[in-house]
Formats: sequence, structure tokens, C-alpha cells
Amino acid sequence: MVDGYLGSYALLGVLLLVAAAFFGVAFGANRLLSPARPAEPAGKFETYECGLDPVGGGWAQVHIRYYLYAYLYLLFAVEAVFLFPWAVVYLRQGVPAVMEMAIFVGILALGLLYAWRKRVLVWQ
Amino acid sequence: MKDISLPHLNYAALAPMLILFGVACVGVLVDAFAPRKARYPIQLVVALVGLIAAFVAVVLRAGKVTAENAITAAGAVSVDKPALFLQGTLIVLGAVALLLIGERALERGGPFVAQAAITVGSDADQRQAARESGATEVFPLTIFSLSGMLLFVAANDLLTMFVALEVFSLPLYLLCALARRRRLISQEAALKYFLLGAYASAFFLFGLALLYGFAGGITFAKINESAQNGTGNITLLYAGLALVSIGLLFKAAAVPFHVWTPDVYQGAPTPVTSLMAACTKVAAFGGLLRVLYAGFDRVHWDYSPIIAAIAVLTMLVGSILAVTQTDIKRLLAYSSIANAGYLLVGVLGNSALGLSSVMFYLVAYGFTVIAAFAVITLVRDADGEATHLSRWAGLGRRSPFYATVFTVILLSFAGIPLTSGFTSKFAVFSAAGGGDQSWLVIVGVVSSMILAFPYLRVVVMMWLSEPGEQTPSVSLPGMLTSAALVIGVVITIFVGVAPQPLLHLTSEAANFIR
Amino acid sequence: MTSALHLVAAAAAAGEVTTGEKAVFFILAPIALIGAIGMVAARNAVHSALWLVLTMLSLGVFYIVQAGPFIGMVQIIVYTGAIMMLFLFVLMLVGRDASDAVIETLRGQQAWAIVLGVGFAGLLGTGLARVVGSLKVVGLEQANADGNVQGIAALLFTKYVWVFEISSALLITAAVGAMILAHVDRSLRDGTAVMSQPERMRARFEPGSYPGPKPGPGVFATSTSIATPAKLPDGTPAQRSISPILPTRELTAAEVANKQTEGR
Repeated sequence: MVDGYLGSYALLGVLLLVAAAFFGVAFGANRLLSPARPAEPAGKFETYECGLDPVGGGWAQVHIRYYLYAYLYLLFAVEAVFLFPWAVVYLRQGVPAVMEMAIFVGILALGLLYAWRKRVLVWQ
Repeated sequence: MKDISLPHLNYAALAPMLILFGVACVGVLVDAFAPRKARYPIQLVVALVGLIAAFVAVVLRAGKVTAENAITAAGAVSVDKPALFLQGTLIVLGAVALLLIGERALERGGPFVAQAAITVGSDADQRQAARESGATEVFPLTIFSLSGMLLFVAANDLLTMFVALEVFSLPLYLLCALARRRRLISQEAALKYFLLGAYASAFFLFGLALLYGFAGGITFAKINESAQNGTGNITLLYAGLALVSIGLLFKAAAVPFHVWTPDVYQGAPTPVTSLMAACTKVAAFGGLLRVLYAGFDRVHWDYSPIIAAIAVLTMLVGSILAVTQTDIKRLLAYSSIANAGYLLVGVLGNSALGLSSVMFYLVAYGFTVIAAFAVITLVRDADGEATHLSRWAGLGRRSPFYATVFTVILLSFAGIPLTSGFTSKFAVFSAAGGGDQSWLVIVGVVSSMILAFPYLRVVVMMWLSEPGEQTPSVSLPGMLTSAALVIGVVITIFVGVAPQPLLHLTSEAANFIR
Repeated sequence: MTSALHLVAAAAAAGEVTTGEKAVFFILAPIALIGAIGMVAARNAVHSALWLVLTMLSLGVFYIVQAGPFIGMVQIIVYTGAIMMLFLFVLMLVGRDASDAVIETLRGQQAWAIVLGVGFAGLLGTGLARVVGSLKVVGLEQANADGNVQGIAALLFTKYVWVFEISSALLITAAVGAMILAHVDRSLRDGTAVMSQPERMRARFEPGSYPGPKPGPGVFATSTSIATPAKLPDGTPAQRSISPILPTRELTAAEVANKQTEGR
């Protein structure tokens, strides 16, 4: 993937281009797809018949249960980081490499098993 | 293409760690699958059996270890004699602390909260405090922590040491937050410990990077070789050593990296405090000894004055602040800081004698401090443990037996002859004297005399005051606490009266293999 | 900041910095610094987190430029992706305004922290700047001989295989810990879930309970807000008519005033 310095630059260049393109496409699509002249009749932003008056910030505290999902995601993101280097060598090392990764993933899967049994994964 | 075949793993040498690691994973499974009622007995038995098996593995290995077969896992782990001695110590101390952790006779449901996520002070919290049995995850967490400590004292390079440091710290941060009573202060303690611990780990990692720049490698052999040959930049060596030492001295609770100690010792559930006071201290000093002796032996003359200054500060600050304390757990926290100072004096002996005396001290102190915290779990009223010192006044009249036990423990802390406190202090001070650090010994003796004052004040309060209405009762301990208490006190007295076997063992073990 | 120093000095020693590398560095280093300063200086915690993202992305690019594409990508995927997301979750848990406490429990603590922090950074920074000026970069070619990822894999699955396996202990401890501290198993809460029907009825008609339906809020009478309490026959507001978690709303004079609807 990397051939000395030039390879890094190519990678970096592609990365920058992709990032810029992504940014441009995301905002461009938003501009194109959104209605150009949204109707803004009087009273559109006022509370209708019920609900709280729109005062104060729009900030709401979220429930801690979301944190667990974020955390479980992080756990498996870290696992994926280890899977990348493993994927380029397991053919060369053979069975031991598969065993090593199986143990690692197996132990992490214990965490998922624990989460499942403790009903963390069930919406309640 | 480099050869990437699996390195040789000496499973006999790694067995203690493997066993504990496996047992902890089984513990997680038990908590996931066993019915609620059955979890506590299964967890307790699994954890204790695992510790016994690991201890047997250590003893079996100790007979066979040589300089040639000590290093395994491609040089990442060095299971040499000091490592095996410290591992054995950690396992036994951990098992005794686990007895306290598993005690459920003193309080309905044990000392740990059932569901830590329930808001403190809510109705649900009051219900669970009164009725529900404590979380059984504490057992696998304790075992994970101990397996990390076993690796920490056997790590042969700084990266392994760092991972081990995290593996043993993270469960401790969690355990601190799980007290059944006074949950807010317990959570505060956990958060403080976690933030400061993470900060100290960052220092360790920074130092590791600098040392890699110095030596071009992170094994202790490589660092030692570079220091010996004079290759590499000496500024990187000093900066790296300083930063790595900060990480280790934080865990050892040496001044000025001690500020977390009183709050965490006070806030954590008392059994967890005993685990931290005994086992974390063993692991931290085991790691410090290995770094200084195996990695930086060549720059001994350069770091000695700084460690000596830290030792003096630690002894004096620990003992002087202990005098002003009004809470027994904080008092023991400052006493543990002062003891870290005495241990540092032993570390400066910088010889086989220094190594063996520090290991001797760690064993002696570990058992005594667990026994001390065991007594603290017993003195309680309706709100849980009564830790304020004024509440202990007159305890000698009300329950003379436990007051006697606690008096013996305090006398040992104070270093009265015929207790382990005396022999262990004698060992480290004579090692330092042999290492040409006599002025440190003088400071050490002065500090011990200052520190004796708060201990004796507690003794006087227990025996010479009249018990008032405020004096709490001493609960009848369950089997587990009784066992921990008996083991702690018997070893305290035995090591004080007949220190020879343990001295022999430590001096046998005093040789690091890089 | 230190890695930036490293980069300059190491590159200067090697004496083979290409123009492209210089350009990337001199564009991104100030951005990384601005991000770091912005993170500390921002009043709003969320803005702090976003500044940190900027710094982390810049660092990720630095790693890639320094011939470490794997660590660069990990920096971007794991740090700016997963860990920053976790940061934001935590910020959302505590609430945006909670970070504004400026009470000093120890007097002069902030001043001392700044003095000591700057002093420490100065000491390490100048020391390292002097050191790395004289260092030669060695071993990069060998380390990346088979490719960067392959090089990391070769270390990870040979020399550090034991550490690698042990690090799974760290991850599972963290997972179990997060679940212990954050998850309430509602089926286990005693009381509500296992209450029998007679117990429920008894609780409902206990003294102090209000067995009938609660009065609705005074929405239509005076304003369009459900935070407006209904009025009892004697004119006092009925607190029971609004949810206890709603903030009590002060009525304006116009709302309180008689609407002149009698007799029509």
C-alpha cells in the first residue's frame, strides 16, 4: 500500500480529496434537495394549544442507556483495529494466528454475552 | 519477509496468570448465566479455588525456575524468582482480601451495592440498600485485577508493564464505586482515583516513549545495555525515567503523588480498601523495583538522590498528617503513605539486600493492613461502619477481644518489637544503612516515632475512655472475616517473633533476570 | 504539540524533508494548535469536544505523513470516531450547563495549576527540543520493509502476543464496568414489577393517595402551555394538574387578567 514517501502522499492526497468531496457532496445535496422557499406563515414557530413555550436552550439530557450502546460500539471498533493487521498475516502464520484471534474475539464476545444476559440489549 | 511464527510460550511459567485470567472469564460467565441466588456461592468458590490453583502453580514453578528459563513470551515476560515471590504474595494477600470482599454475615447482602446504576438516595436505592444482595461482579473484577498485578511484577518490558498497569487498575477504579453505604462518597472516590490514575498512566506512557527514543527498545535488557554503553541521549534517559517513575510512584502512593490516597481509601468499600492497601502496594513496589533494579541499575547514582528526597517527603508528610486525622480509614491511608516512604528507603538499598528487605516488608505490611481493615468492617452501627475516631472511644470495655486484636495490629504498625512491623522496618532500614543511606534511616526512625503517636492515641482511646452512648457495637464476624482476621494477626505475630523463614525466602528470591 | 516538535526536529536531522511534507506540516500544525487551545478555551463543552476533533484529525494526518498510515487511520477511526462519540455522549449525559462550575475548593489552585503546567511543559519542551535536534532517525525503513500494517502485525502476533491477549482483559473489564455503572435491570427492581393486584388496590386507596384521575392542566383556560396549572373553584392553582417535572410557569399579567367572557 505504501511505497516510501510517495505512497504516503498519494494516500494523503486521496484522503484529502475524498474528505473534500464528501463535505461538498453532503452540503451540496442538502442545498439541492431542500425546498428553496419554505413557507413561513406567521405563528409557525409558536406552540400550538399544548406543549411548553419555546424558552431556554434546546439542550436535553439524554438517558445513560445510550452510553452503553456507544460503549459497546467502541469495544468492537477497537477489536476491528486489531483485526486489520491480523488479516494481512494470518495466512502466513497459519493456525496459531487464527487461535490467537479466536481467543481475543472470544473474550470480547463474553462481554456481549454478558450484555445480552443482563438485558442491556433489550429496549426497556 | 520477517519470520512471524508464534514465539515459544512457557505455559508452566505463565500458568498463574492464565489460571486467574481464565477464572475471571468464568466469573463473568457465571454472572451472566447462573440463577441469581446461586451466583454468590459459585463466584466465591470459583474465585477461591482459582487463587489456590494459581498459588500451587507459583509454588511448582518456584522449584524449577533458573536464569535460563525465566524469560518467556519472546522476552516480554520474565518469571524470575522475585516475580514468583511477589506473585505468590499477591495471590495470598488477594485471597485474604477476597475473604473480606465475600463476607455477607455482617450486613444483609454484603458490603457492595446491588445495582450501582440506581440513583443515589432514590426510593429504589433505599429499597435495594435494605434488601437486595450485592453485585457478584466484584469477584471477577477482583480476579482480573489480581491477574494484572501478577503480570505487572513479571513484565520484562515497559509496554507489557503498561498494559498490566491498566489491567490491574481499571477493575480497582470500578470496585471503588460499588459501596453499599455512603454511595456518593464512594463514587466520588472512584472518579478521583480514575482521573488521577489515568493522568499518571499518561505520564508513564510518555516516559515510555522517551525511553524508546533513548535505547531504541523498551525491554529492560535493552535499556540497561544502552545505559551501560553510553549510547543514546542521556537527557531522554533522565526524562523518560522520571516520567515512568511518576506513574509508578502514583500507584505506590508516594508524596507528592499521594493526594488521591486518603479520599479513595476512605470512600471505597473497606474490603476493597484492604485489597488496595495490600496488593496494589505489592504490585507497585514490585514494578518499581524491577524498573529501577533491572532497567536502570547503571544510573543508580543519578536517580538515588531524587528517590531519597521523595522517600523523606513521603515519610514525613505521611506521618505528620496521620497525626491530625479523625477518621480511622484516613488515618490508615496516611499511615500507608508513610509506609510507602519506608519501602522507598529499602528500595534505595540498591542491592540484593534492598530487594529482599522490600519484599519482606511488603509481605509483613500486607497481612497486617488487611487485618486492620477487617477489624474496621466489624465496628459498626445502624448506618454501617463507624469510622470516626471518637466513636472508637471505650471500645476496649465493650468488646475487649477485638480491641486487643486491633491493639496488636496498631502496635505492629508502630513498630514495637515482637511484631512484624518491627522486623520489617529493621530490615529496610538496615538495607538502607548498608547501602550508605544512613541519614535516610535517621529520618525514617523520626518519622516512625511521629507515626506511633496517632496509633497509640487510638489504643489509649479504646482502653482508657468510658464507652458512651455513641460507642458502636462490634458485630460478630462471619466465617470469612474471622479467617482473614486470624490469618492477618497470626502472620503479624509470627513474622515478628520468628522472621527467619520469611527472611530466608526473600533473600533466596532476590535476583532479577532481565 | 510534542509530536509536532518531534516532527520538525527529526526531519531537520534527517535533512530530507520534501516540500510536500513541509507544506502539510505548516498548514496542519497551526490548525492542531488552534484546536488544542480552542478545546481548553471554549466555554461550551460541546464546542470543546469539536475543537478536540480538529486536533485529532490533524494528528492523524501527521501520522500518515510520517509513514505510519495504520496508526493514522486508527487515530481517525477510533479516536475521532468512536472515542469522540463517547465524549459527546458523556457531555449529553451531564447536560451542557453543568461544566460551568468555577468554584475553587483550594484557594489559588487554578493559578498554581497554570504556573506549574506551563513550567512543566516548558521544561519538557525545551529539553526535548534540544535533544531531538541531535537525534538521527533510524530504523524506519526496516520497520516498514514489508509494509506498515504487516510490520505492526509481525510485532503484535510474535513479540507482543501475550500482551495482545491480555489487553482483551482490559476491554472486557471496561465493558462489564460500564454495564455495572450504567445499566439498571428494571425487571429486578423490587416493588412495582412484582406487586399483586390486591397490593396495588390497597396502595391506591391508601391515605395520601389520590384514587381518581388527576385534573387536566389549565391549557385552554388561560394559555396554550401545559405548564399552566388548572384552577380550583376558589381560584388557587391546582398543583396536581401539572406534571411534577415541568417547571412552574409564571403567568403574565395579560394571561392572569379576566378575559371578559362573562354573560356572552
